[in-house]
Amino acid sequence: MLLFLQSLLNGILLGGIYAAYSAGFSLIFGVMGVINIFHGEMVMLGAFITYWIFTLFHVDPFLTIPFSIIALFVFGYLVQRFVINRVVEAPPMISYILTFGIHLIIAYTALWVWTADFRTVTTSYSGFNANVGGIIIPYARLATFGLALVVVAGLYVLLYKSEVGRAIQATAQDKEVARLMGVNIRRIYAITFGIGAAITGIAGSLISTYFIIFPQMGLPYTIIAFCVVVLGGMGYIPGALWGGLILGVVQSLTATYLNSGISGAFTFILLFVMLIVRPSGIVGKGIVE
Amino acid sequence: MKKRLAPVIIFIALALLFVPYVGVSGYLIRLFAIIFLWIGKTGCWNLVAGYTGYIDFGAVGYYGIGSYVAALLMAKAHVPFLISILLGGIISGLVALFIGLPTLRLKGAYFGIATLAFAEAMKQIILEFDKTVGIPFFEGPHGITLPIGPGNEFFYYVGFVIMVAVIGITYRVERSKFGYALRAIREAEHAAELSGVDTLKAKTEAYMISAAFLGIIGGIEAYWLTYITPHMVFDVLITIQMVVMSLLGGIGTVLGPVVGASFLTIIYELLHRDFPYTYGIIVGFIVVAVVLLMPKGIAGTLTAKFGTKA
Amino acid sequence: MKKIFLTCMVLGIALALTSGITSAQQKFRIGYAVPLTGTFGRDGSLVRDAYAYWAELVNSKGGIEVKGKKYPVELSFIDDKSIAAENAKLTEKLITDDKVDLILGGFGSDSVFAGSAVAEKYKYPMICGSASSNKLFERGFKYYFSTIGKATEEVRGCVEISQMLSPKPKTGVIIGSDILFTALAAEGYKKYAAQNGIEILHFELFPITLQDYNSMLLKVKQMNPDVLFVGSHLMVAMKTMKALKEIDFTPKMVTFSYGPTVPDFVKSLGKDAEYVVAASEWAPNLPYKDPLFGTARQFNDDYFKKYGRYPDYVEAASAAGAYAMQIAIEKLGITPPVKEADRVRLMEELYKQNLTTFYGVVKFGPDGANEAHPPVAVQIQNGKLRNVFPRDAAEATPWYPMKPWKER
Repeated sequence: MLLFLQSLLNGILLGGIYAAYSAGFSLIFGVMGVINIFHGEMVMLGAFITYWIFTLFHVDPFLTIPFSIIALFVFGYLVQRFVINRVVEAPPMISYILTFGIHLIIAYTALWVWTADFRTVTTSYSGFNANVGGIIIPYARLATFGLALVVVAGLYVLLYKSEVGRAIQATAQDKEVARLMGVNIRRIYAITFGIGAAITGIAGSLISTYFIIFPQMGLPYTIIAFCVVVLGGMGYIPGALWGGLILGVVQSLTATYLNSGISGAFTFILLFVMLIVRPSGIVGKGIVE
Repeated sequence: MKKRLAPVIIFIALALLFVPYVGVSGYLIRLFAIIFLWIGKTGCWNLVAGYTGYIDFGAVGYYGIGSYVAALLMAKAHVPFLISILLGGIISGLVALFIGLPTLRLKGAYFGIATLAFAEAMKQIILEFDKTVGIPFFEGPHGITLPIGPGNEFFYYVGFVIMVAVIGITYRVERSKFGYALRAIREAEHAAELSGVDTLKAKTEAYMISAAFLGIIGGIEAYWLTYITPHMVFDVLITIQMVVMSLLGGIGTVLGPVVGASFLTIIYELLHRDFPYTYGIIVGFIVVAVVLLMPKGIAGTLTAKFGTKA
Repeated sequence: MKKIFLTCMVLGIALALTSGITSAQQKFRIGYAVPLTGTFGRDGSLVRDAYAYWAELVNSKGGIEVKGKKYPVELSFIDDKSIAAENAKLTEKLITDDKVDLILGGFGSDSVFAGSAVAEKYKYPMICGSASSNKLFERGFKYYFSTIGKATEEVRGCVEISQMLSPKPKTGVIIGSDILFTALAAEGYKKYAAQNGIEILHFELFPITLQDYNSMLLKVKQMNPDVLFVGSHLMVAMKTMKALKEIDFTPKMVTFSYGPTVPDFVKSLGKDAEYVVAASEWAPNLPYKDPLFGTARQFNDDYFKKYGRYPDYVEAASAAGAYAMQIAIEKLGITPPVKEADRVRLMEELYKQNLTTFYGVVKFGPDGANEAHPPVAVQIQNGKLRNVFPRDAAEATPWYPMKPWKER
């Protein structure tokens, strides 16, 4: 029983991690219809910002988060405003290849500058965990799970309770009407992308404390974000939580009770079946074309 | 324009037949063969994505199936090369039927990710199969060692034949009623349905043909490399390269794959030696530049032909 | 008068230039394809550094000495992106296009598998210090040589060390990533565990792309084995340690087939790396030496002076491989440019070699593997790698059992 609970908890925390770094992907797709192939690179950048500030200036990784937020927001805003914005009107296939080109640029520049070394942030309290009735809860992962909840809640507040948020929603629903109502579409797109980048960056920062980071780590994260968001419903932000949790729990339980190789096969078979049977995501609120 | 192009193409094709006899290095023959096979792979992907508009992110799945079928037949049952790769192609095609029917009902990104899931699942299944079922068959991570084959010239000509086959089929399809149906699907699938086109049948046929040839190419390359593992032949990077080559060259065109595959392979060969890290950056910039600066070139072709399709 | 002077000048310059060119041609051009990007980009760069170190040392003495004359070495390498097909293509390019005199091995069993098939075809001996999968030696190739032992044998030290520990470990769990080398290492553990009376409670190969190890290791923690045997490369080793700490699992001993000997491991994990045991083919305290590199300890220290880090055993093995080729060349009196007949003789000579190097004895068996190279085991103690097995070669006693995380 204890094993089951521990595995379940692991799965939930893992799901939180998945949700944390996938929410941004969902936001960007939901508002702009862009499938961002360099999404994983934003996780990588957030992770490396934290790594370098920690290593060079001995700042606690949690305290580096504001830097991550600002840097990634600015990065996301600029990339959208000056590059991606040109193809927002074009068919999605164009955005695939454009964001793929940007993926290459970022990943290989990082590789060139930072080399292929594997790194991780190890603090004096790394790996610390609470032992609650025999169940181990790693603090860093719990923090990431908390972050995922905060992000989803925060986005909800932003989208429904703020001026900018309403403009974003209006743009997402009907661009032309929004434009007629005076919304500056270009600015909204750029802000949205910046927000998406920033929250992904925070996730990256936290991830650097318990996963191994390296410049070419991005693509698998992009693929998982894709899976999470499809499972939860494309463009439906809380769906990132659902998708992440399902994925995390399924992976964890199959890894513990069967073996991890099968959990890999299971994940993809599950995804495949989900798509055939219910493409709008588990809660049915995803955007289906 | 096509009429003036035809004699040039035929001339180049004939000239290529003589390249191995002109005394070029083994490396160059190999390089040509590699380009031919990439044109083949890209052409297969282009046949589906370019003409039906369905962006397939799992194409490598069929390549891998073909590799394994051919490898197992040749290594364990000593079946001759030609039969092995043909069986590889046939089985890939059949799997495509089975996978295609449900997935081709999905649209855009959903189709993309369903096919990606299929390819990744295939890789894991082959890795886990022996252990789970308890019989040594696929050999999992140990991979399959094939018998040593002939030299590069053999693969040069085999690659050449495949390239001509795939491009030729694309050319014929484009001009046929079948191609017309495919393009109708790309432009406005719903309207096509209403006007009586059996869209599912057409899509599935294109998907199967593409899969079958990818399977054959997978078998060829397995024999050439003499050793395959699931990680090598189900690598998502292979699909990505097919996509990039198609898009750079001009998706939905007959010669697009030829241009894209040649261009990217040659750039890589020229750059990567002296710039092992930075060549990736350069290719990234080229991709971005092509997308942004050639709105008429690639994007123009796409927007003109695509309309609302993802 | 002016004309004669001018002609003499031109002739003189021409002569100087051509003799410059001719003497510039008098060097050994050696090529290799190695991963610098991709999954093994990090590991491949170590091999590159090792070969560069060898070349620099050789060239500092003027070059390889054949029949009284010295020929410098010029290395040429290309990135194979950790892709086997690339390695095959690039090896072929080096051989047929660049027409190098000799080639050396890269990194990673899959890539080396492909590249060595090309080398075999063109009859270029390839010595590799970094690819040890058993299958490499089962193809009946004549031109492939390895200075490190086979994957299943490399881990022997990590298991046999159990005989030295008290209380002697009785149970173990074996995990490994699902690629060739690590899968073979896992099988090696299994074989030797049986021979050493350790009961294996669980055997699992996991995907190399697995992001999270916690759930899998949870299962292992439940079984409470004495030893955790891991078939790993650097990344897998690092991930495993992070996971072990997170789920608060300390077996009495944890061993890796590869990873801890690369400086990144200790650098990144800091104190969390203590007690870790790793398979190795070399340690600096071993009593070997040779005229080029000096003693094992000298190699270790000089390497640190050049690169700011201590060498890992793959680097030692790669450098030793290059050296083995050098000795064979010197013995046979081969001069550049090297012809096919020379390379065939080189291949035959390599089988006859019984060479003592700073890395240990290099003696290639009939299948190309190094038969005289017993594995050792090292342990991280106080941030340093210490040779702990076999007993007569050890410089420190093993720390056992591993101190639980919460007590550190």
